[in-house]
Amino acid sequence: MMASLLEHMGMEKDRVQFSWISSAEATKFATVAREVAQSVEALGPNTKFVKGSD
Amino acid sequence: MKVIKIDKNQWTQGVDAARKSYQLFGPVKIKENYCFAPLQGTQQPDMNVVDTVLSPKSAVFPQTEKLLSATLDASKPAHHLMKRADTDYSPRAVIGIRPFDARAIDLVKLNFDTKEYRDPYWCDAHDATTFVGLAVNTPSQFDFSTSMGSGPFDEKGLDVLLVDTDSAYLAKVITEKGQAFMACAGFDQEATPDDVQKIEALKKTAEQAITTKVDTDNLKEKSLLDLHQAPFWDDVAFSCINCGTCTFVCPTCWCFDIQDETKGNDTIRFRNWDSCMSPLFTLHGSGHNPRGEKTQRVRQRFMHKLKYFLDKYDQGTMCVGCGRCVKSCPVNIDIREVCNLMNAYEPQK
Amino acid sequence: MESYTEQIRTLAVDLLKSGKVDVVIGYRKGSVPMATVPFMARTPEQAKQLTWDSHCTLNLANYLTNRQEKIGIIAKGCDSRNIVNHIVENKINRDQLHIIGVPCKGMVNPKELQALLDDKIVSYSESGSTLTIASSQAEIKIEREDHLRDNCSLCTHRNPVIYDDLVGEVVTEPVLDDPFKDVNAIEAMDTDTKWNYFDDLLDGCIRCYACRNACPLCYCPTCFVDESDPQWVGKGQNETDIKTFHFLRAFHCAGRCTDCGACEAACPMDIHVRAFTRKLIKDSKELFGWEAGLDISKRPPLDTFAPDDPNDFIK
Repeated sequence: MMASLLEHMGMEKDRVQFSWISSAEATKFATVAREVAQSVEALGPNTKFVKGSD
Repeated sequence: MKVIKIDKNQWTQGVDAARKSYQLFGPVKIKENYCFAPLQGTQQPDMNVVDTVLSPKSAVFPQTEKLLSATLDASKPAHHLMKRADTDYSPRAVIGIRPFDARAIDLVKLNFDTKEYRDPYWCDAHDATTFVGLAVNTPSQFDFSTSMGSGPFDEKGLDVLLVDTDSAYLAKVITEKGQAFMACAGFDQEATPDDVQKIEALKKTAEQAITTKVDTDNLKEKSLLDLHQAPFWDDVAFSCINCGTCTFVCPTCWCFDIQDETKGNDTIRFRNWDSCMSPLFTLHGSGHNPRGEKTQRVRQRFMHKLKYFLDKYDQGTMCVGCGRCVKSCPVNIDIREVCNLMNAYEPQK
Repeated sequence: MESYTEQIRTLAVDLLKSGKVDVVIGYRKGSVPMATVPFMARTPEQAKQLTWDSHCTLNLANYLTNRQEKIGIIAKGCDSRNIVNHIVENKINRDQLHIIGVPCKGMVNPKELQALLDDKIVSYSESGSTLTIASSQAEIKIEREDHLRDNCSLCTHRNPVIYDDLVGEVVTEPVLDDPFKDVNAIEAMDTDTKWNYFDDLLDGCIRCYACRNACPLCYCPTCFVDESDPQWVGKGQNETDIKTFHFLRAFHCAGRCTDCGACEAACPMDIHVRAFTRKLIKDSKELFGWEAGLDISKRPPLDTFAPDDPNDFIK
């Protein structure tokens, strides 16, 4: 529901991602980490919910 | 006192001329409601709105104000020193401020400019500001300024008082600052004695249109402790949801909270409006909270406005009768009713 | 709904006289036309001030939190669901309450009514479904159904779901073809338009917290925005801070909000704060088949874990 509300407010869908990974699933961790990093980088720098230095 | 006549069809160009030398604030519409805000670009102040949700106190006392900044980064100049924020104090003018709001700012000045201490932020802003007021020809149903030491044509705290006479504004030039503003705007046509007479008539009509009367004559002589221990506070306070709306819309509320926001090596010290309605307002570092109960906070607010301030400064109550709290309170707690309760209270012997 | 007032008074007077309750919480008339004030009657005499009309827009369940007395409480449909919520969340005990249920015909917005007349409204009355508003210059009669508050026009739970006494007759629950039309309209926007929509929505927020304080769900002793060690959210007017406050507050109400509209009724700047919670109400329904406050024996979905909870968002 949190991801849904964030998306509803105009945050790009891929910025917040969820996965269940146990400490025994090292390979899965590496794969998911790479995938998330790639998909977030593809979106470019985040400008939403960032506090300006005013 | 000089009275200048400003033809309405010359008004906008005068405001534009003034804009070159003053940062202008005035009533503007924000979504559904009117508030005082800096005028953007070529925006004109709305001179027909009778009441704004928020008061113009933000012109000299912004809701969030940068006070100081500092950095621990040794490679930057002035590191480890707190530097005052670079606020622009070039001349400002608040156009269309109501007499009760101008009186309110005058009352707040008693707090920020004392023998012991002068708040540089508030006072520098105030010194830079010219208050071009607009008399209230048709008071709103929430206006009870005549009972609280002000009135629809009151001049206290104003540099100019404009009176709307349909085709023109008659401007009473009250101070030198006011004169400077008028000159800058190019308003220099003196009014005729006939014009000036209209002001008195409009003033009378406006004052008579305020039908709510609130009694304050006994407040001074009432014992503070008696009022404090009166039994009606529980009932008054029940519906209160402690939101802070009343304190934010009130032109005389001045409480603030100072906070640092730090990112890495840099920090900025802010002050934000704070509210005595908040449960944490009086929370001590020790954990003790002298006003932890809602009734204590609600009682405090009315006592401060109508009794403590009155006793301390002897300049009338801290309420100017603008009625904004009555209009905006989500649970309709009415300061007029509370004031009458306080004024009439006799302790049971 | 004006005959409700008489019934409410009679019930309240009896409850106080018999000692069944220590206090009755309801509304009394306010100091300006159309205003109502949440009111606690401690004696049968005070109970005669209780009133009910189409301006009882706040949620009285807000006044129940952590109280110790035996309380008679007037509750319309949405309020009663919040009472169920309060009981499930241990903020009040069922046996402390004597609930006077009011089948609700909908509430109206005083500002909307004022906009119908040029001059200030000096008197207001209602009879059946007709509301009469008058200024010094004019008087008009309007139908309540045509001027319902936004949340009331979308309401499908007008009748109290829990009560000890019921005032008046049960009303028909509306059936809506498109109960989430407002949410769908936003969902149809692209990402940037959505962002700008919410930016624009919150323009004017003064962080007075009237929305939070009017909400019965917001009962945390120290709200996350008031924490300073650590400080989660800035307290000033920075727009990211303002947005974060509203986003997180809505999320804390996820699966618990009954769309009572007290937040919007309380807001002095007329901000449509329900835009956040409406989406969560839709999600609650679609992801968990859940509507808040209908069943006193069940816990809300974000409170429990079931093996068949929706999972497809998880990699």
